[in-house]
Amino acid sequence: MAQAINGKPISGTEFNALAMLVFTHQYQQNKPYQNFCNATGTSPEQVSYWHDIPALPTDAFKADALPLITFPIEAIQKTFLTSGTTTETKGKHHFNSTDLYDQSIINAWHELKLPEPAHAIFLIPHPEQSPHSSLSHMMGVIAQHIAQGSSWATDETGSLDLEKIINATKNNQPVALFGTALSFLHLFDSIESPLQLAPGSWAMETGGYKGTQHQLTKSELHRLFETKLGLSSDCIVNEYSMTELSSQFYSRGLNQAHQGPSWTRTRVIDPITNTDAKPGQLGHLVLYDLANLHSVMAIRTQDLATQDLVTRDQTNLEVSAPYFNLIGRDPTALPRGCSRSSDETLSR
Amino acid sequence: MTTTQERIQLIAEACSHDEIQQWTGDITAHDLHAWVTNELGSNMALDAFLAHGPLQSKAIAPACILHIVSGNTAHAAFQSLIRGLLIGSHNVVKIPSAGLAEFTDALEPFPDALRELIEIRSSLEDQEKSRADVIIAIGSDESIAAIHQHVKPHQLFIPHSHKVSIGIVYDDFEAAAIHAARDVSLYNQRGCLSLHAIYAAGDSERFADLLAIEMEKFSQSNPADTLTASEAGTIRNLRESTRFCSSNGPEVKLWESSDSLNWTVIHDSSALLKLSCLNRCVYVKPLPSELDTAILGPEAKHLSTIAIHPFTQENAVSLEHLPAHRICPLGQSQQPSLFWHHDGFAPLASLVKWKDIG
Repeated sequence: MAQAINGKPISGTEFNALAMLVFTHQYQQNKPYQNFCNATGTSPEQVSYWHDIPALPTDAFKADALPLITFPIEAIQKTFLTSGTTTETKGKHHFNSTDLYDQSIINAWHELKLPEPAHAIFLIPHPEQSPHSSLSHMMGVIAQHIAQGSSWATDETGSLDLEKIINATKNNQPVALFGTALSFLHLFDSIESPLQLAPGSWAMETGGYKGTQHQLTKSELHRLFETKLGLSSDCIVNEYSMTELSSQFYSRGLNQAHQGPSWTRTRVIDPITNTDAKPGQLGHLVLYDLANLHSVMAIRTQDLATQDLVTRDQTNLEVSAPYFNLIGRDPTALPRGCSRSSDETLSR
Repeated sequence: MTTTQERIQLIAEACSHDEIQQWTGDITAHDLHAWVTNELGSNMALDAFLAHGPLQSKAIAPACILHIVSGNTAHAAFQSLIRGLLIGSHNVVKIPSAGLAEFTDALEPFPDALRELIEIRSSLEDQEKSRADVIIAIGSDESIAAIHQHVKPHQLFIPHSHKVSIGIVYDDFEAAAIHAARDVSLYNQRGCLSLHAIYAAGDSERFADLLAIEMEKFSQSNPADTLTASEAGTIRNLRESTRFCSSNGPEVKLWESSDSLNWTVIHDSSALLKLSCLNRCVYVKPLPSELDTAILGPEAKHLSTIAIHPFTQENAVSLEHLPAHRICPLGQSQQPSLFWHHDGFAPLASLVKWKDIG
């Protein structure tokens, strides 16, 4: 699998073949998932196309007694937790190693040609302060492997360190700011006059506002980036992922579609018929991530999206990871999301 | 305008129309007389000074009642409005900004003399809110809290916040399943009186099995409303999450309508009260030997109605310690009596003030 996630895009045929191998591995080694597949009447012998691999709802990761792992429980080295209030049950994604996870972050960055930051400023807690946050871990990987320099602009209590942010922007070198949408709102609220960022600067934001007092459209958020940081929409990258995955999906600019690396696939399901939504029709996102090798590769979300017509090769397989237009968390779903976790920290 | 007697006649006439009766139930002039008498001591209490101990007292209706209603169902809106009309107040009804057509469309048969007392608004200015003597708010806890912030000291505030109802079956599973299917399915579970969970004594899994059969029958004779993508997605998510748990242990078991999202029954061995995702999805749970708020969990404080079968005085009184304000026969949870104390409030008596002479 590590060879597939090496920064060189894999074809639709390669993806499908690998997906069959991963599904077989997970079916055999991950007993709770095997039982779920059996309940849906699906086993590896019956599946030849990645579409037909049973997708597990994210809520399944909340069942403590049923760890979704393909390795012995004593081999767990790292666990990422979903965000939520202290009274909510948190989902747990266990790893026996984060090597593949880290490789997915780094190689997706190159494969999707994301801008490489000269100096990164992180508006979220350092991985040591938040060891169970997959977002903090991701930022740690970016700091270590992608950025040329970095500043962590939250103090030990999780509050924004404005002085550190201002100092990091003073030397007239381009910077890249990384944070949740809510952490950026806190930054915008904190600064009286706009920050002067050097040309070539950009920002990456992630997460929504569900479960918080904030309600802001994406265009309103981008307008704030413009007025508070002087960053136009094409300098803003949105990252979409979740604790239950090992890969990320990105868009750049306003109202642009998201795409993941070639070892991922997405479907948009019409929840009424439980079949693929028509191109442009709103549905729920189902994600397939080969980097989720040691848990479950097919994840059913409660995030709403649309998908355009998918380009296929002569064998009727998708030629690349398809784009999808992310609408956001289904409003009827329970609040969750890394943006809110950050908001709770920042509100203390 | 008018006397109580005249308003009773007008309301009874309006409520005889099918469009309104589907929401209010069958209300006769005799019922309304009895209701006013029961709550205010006399059906003349709003029209004349009547003996009250050494005094003479008259009930004074608020000049203006603001009813802020939710979009879940039209029931609560009609109940609240009928109360305001009966006592002769002017009624401003704030409906959700997205509208509440099943309420506004059904107002057509109301005679002009009553229509003059009704004002429908989809938005309200602050000054219009402060004009009301009484504010009745129906909605989520968050909505109620937001409205409460704007209540002035001179205004009476009657909140009807988030509520949940449950069923309890002691015996006679076959008949109970028929009643339970009705209470769960009516109005697609969108009201406070819809059952989210049913606790069954004995073989609760057998009851779940029987309930699934009756849910299917009810669904065939009373098809469910069309679902939005969000509603359908929530049901799919619940079903798949339940399938995961049920495939990994005996604590949870799933019954579902095939090739549709018409109904879902989940047997869950935990007694903790969980909210259903609505649209005919219901939990069946074993009835613990002691059913109290500690066992039911945090949702217990939101209990509205407990529908029981068989309905006996002894069974009903045994549940008196629970926070629900109403214990009724299973099969009737969605049709409260005109006389019921809505969330514990006396619906007419809590609206009026009294003027004394002597």
